Amino acid sequence: MLRVPDSSISRRLTWMNMLVSGVALLLSCAAFVAYDRVSFRQTMVQDLSIQAQMIGSTSVSAVLFDDPRAGEETLAALQAAPNVLAAGIYTPQRRLFAAYWRGARGRDLPLPSLPLRQTQAHWFGDGELALVRSVIFEGKPVALVYLRSDLSQMNARSRRYAEIGAAVLLASLSAAFLISWSSQRAISKPLVQLAQTARIVSRDKNYSVRATPPGNRDEIALLVDSFNEMLAQIQSRDGALRMAHDSLELRVQQRTAELTASNNELEAFSYSVSHDLRAPLRSIDGFSQALLEDYSAKLDAGGQDHLRRVRAATQRMSVLIDDLLNLSRLSRSAIRRETLDLSALAAAVAEDVRKSDPARRVEFIIAKDLAAEGDPQLLRVVMENLLGNAWKYTSSHPQARIEFGASQDNGRRAFFVRDDGAGFDPRYAGRLFGAFQRLHAATEFPGTGIGLATVQRIIHRHGGKVWAEGAVEKGATFHFSL
Amino acid sequence: MNLSSPARSLFGSRRRLLALSAAAAGVLFSLSCLHAQEPKPTEHQVKATYLYNFGQFVRWPRNASALQSDSFSICVLGQDSFHSILDAALHGETIDGKSVVARRISTPQEAAICRVLFISSSEEHQLKEILEAVGQAGVLTVSDMPYFTQRGGMIQFTREGNRIRFAVNLTNAEVGGLILSSELLKVAITVRRNPQPGG
Repeated sequence: MLRVPDSSISRRLTWMNMLVSGVALLLSCAAFVAYDRVSFRQTMVQDLSIQAQMIGSTSVSAVLFDDPRAGEETLAALQAAPNVLAAGIYTPQRRLFAAYWRGARGRDLPLPSLPLRQTQAHWFGDGELALVRSVIFEGKPVALVYLRSDLSQMNARSRRYAEIGAAVLLASLSAAFLISWSSQRAISKPLVQLAQTARIVSRDKNYSVRATPPGNRDEIALLVDSFNEMLAQIQSRDGALRMAHDSLELRVQQRTAELTASNNELEAFSYSVSHDLRAPLRSIDGFSQALLEDYSAKLDAGGQDHLRRVRAATQRMSVLIDDLLNLSRLSRSAIRRETLDLSALAAAVAEDVRKSDPARRVEFIIAKDLAAEGDPQLLRVVMENLLGNAWKYTSSHPQARIEFGASQDNGRRAFFVRDDGAGFDPRYAGRLFGAFQRLHAATEFPGTGIGLATVQRIIHRHGGKVWAEGAVEKGATFHFSL
Repeated sequence: MNLSSPARSLFGSRRRLLALSAAAAGVLFSLSCLHAQEPKPTEHQVKATYLYNFGQFVRWPRNASALQSDSFSICVLGQDSFHSILDAALHGETIDGKSVVARRISTPQEAAICRVLFISSSEEHQLKEILEAVGQAGVLTVSDMPYFTQRGGMIQFTREGNRIRFAVNLTNAEVGGLILSSELLKVAITVRRNPQPGG
C-alpha cells in the first residue's frame, strides 16, 4: 500500500476551502457584530428616549399639581425595565421632583449639570447610558426626565453574540470541512490515484497498469488519458524491444553454435588429415632412404638424384604438416598471460637466427626494455616467425638491417619488426596473413606459407592486431599490438 | 465620573471649551438654583395656577356654550380673594390656542361663557342654586368650601400639610358632560362617585 504524502493535495485543498470559508465567516461575523453594536446603541438610546417621553407624559399632571408621590409612582413602573438603574423627574428649575433607584429608596439623584438651554442629551460612560429629555406640555416645558441605564444588557448581548458567533463559526467550519472533504475528493482522488499509478510504474517498471479515469471530463481526465496513452506506447515499445532482443539473442546463439560446430569439425578434420598424412610420408621417405642406401650400386647418378629430390620433397612436406599441426593446436590451447620482456625475447631469437648463417652481415637493432603481457611460448613463436622472415627476405642483399621497436596505433602500444629486404607489393598486403599464401616463389625464398598465418592467429587470440607495410625491394615492416 | 459632567461627551475632546462651558453651566445652574429658592408661592398663587392647570386636563362637551367664545374664560363667582394674582397667573397663557382670561361674575347665569368656574366660599349659602344653574352647562366647577364634592361640585381644593391638594367627584363632572383626564384623576387626593340612585 502506498502511503499518501503528508501534505497531500487533498489535505491542501481541504485546508484551502476551510481557510476561505473561515475568513469569510469571521469577517462577516465581525461586520455583523460591529453593525449590531452600533445599531444596538442607537436602539438603546431610542428606547430610553421613548421611556423618558412616556415617563414625562405620564408625570405632567404630577408636576403641574406638585404631587411628587404620583411622580414616584410613575417612576416605580420602571421596575419592569431592569436596565434602568435610576430615574429622576425635575422641575424646569432643575429641582428634583421625584427619584427612582432600582433596588433602593429615598436616595438623592442630582441632575448632571447641563447648560441651561440644553434640555436634550445622552451620553455613554462607565458602563452606563444616561439620557435627559425635556417634557413639553401644551407647548411649554414642564419638566426634565433623567434616566440612567446600565449597559449590562448590551454587554450580555455582545457576549451572547460572541457565543453564537463562535458556535456558528464552529458549526460552519465543521460543515465546511465535511463539504470540502467530500467535494475535494472529486479533484484530489484521481490525482492521488494517478500519482500512485505513476509510482507503481516507476518502482516496479510495470507498464501494464493503468490509471482509473475520473467520471467527469475535465483536465484531470485528460491528464489520466494522456498518461495511460503514454504507458500504452511505452508498453508496446518495450514489448517490441524485448522481442527483437530475444530473437537476436537466439540468432546469435544459433550462429555461434553453428560456427563453433563447423570450426571444431574443420580443426578436427585438418588435425586428422595432417596426422594421417605423416604415415604415408614416413613410408615414402623411409623407403627412399632404403633405396639410396641399399641399392646405390644399382642406381646411376641420375636415379640417385631423383631419389634425393623425393626425400627433400617429403621432408618439406613433413615440415609443412608440422606447421599445420602447430597452427591447429594454437586454436585449441589456452592462453596464459604474464608480463615479459619482449626486448630480451627478441634478442634471444635474433641470436638463434644468426647462428643459422653466422657469415651473413646483418645488423640487429633491438630497442631496450619493451615489456608486454602475453603467453611467453606463443609470443616466442611470433618473434621467431617475424625475425625469421626478416632474416629470410634480406638474404638476397649483401648487407641488411633488422629492427625491433615500439610504435603507436591509435593511442595503443604496438611493436614492429622492420627489415630492408625484398619487401612486397602493397597491393597484396591483404593476402600476406592467409595460410599457404605466398608472394614469392619457393625457389626464391623457402617457406611453407604458414608463418604469418600463425602470427596472426596468436595475435588475434591475444585480442591484438597485426598489419604490414612495405614495397618491392624497399623492405617490410610488421606491426602488432597485444 | 462622566455622568457628573455630560459636557465632556457633548463637546468631545475640546477640553478648553469643555472647561469654559462647564464653568458657564455651573454659573447657570447655581442661578437656576437661586431661582428655585425663590420664596414659596402663596396659597392663592398655587390655587390660581391649578385653576389654569385643570383646564388642560378636561374635555368639554361639544354643546358647551363656552366653546363658542374666542377666549378661554376662568371665572370667579362671589367674593374674589385672588385679586390680581389670578390675572398675573393667567397672563399670556393659552389653552387650545385660545388666550386664557380671568373673569369675575356675580350671577350663575353669567357662567355660560366660563370653562372653569371658581365658586367663592362667600356663595356657600346659595350653592345649591348655583350648581343647579350651571350643573349641566358644561362648566368645570371648582371651590375650596368644605364638602363641595359631596354637595354637587366637581373639584374641591383641600390642604394636606402645607400642600394644596384637590378632590374630584366624577359623577358630578359626567353630569356636566365633562371628561376628566386620567392624568388629572391620578393626582387627585380622592376620586368620588355618587351612589347611583336606585342602583
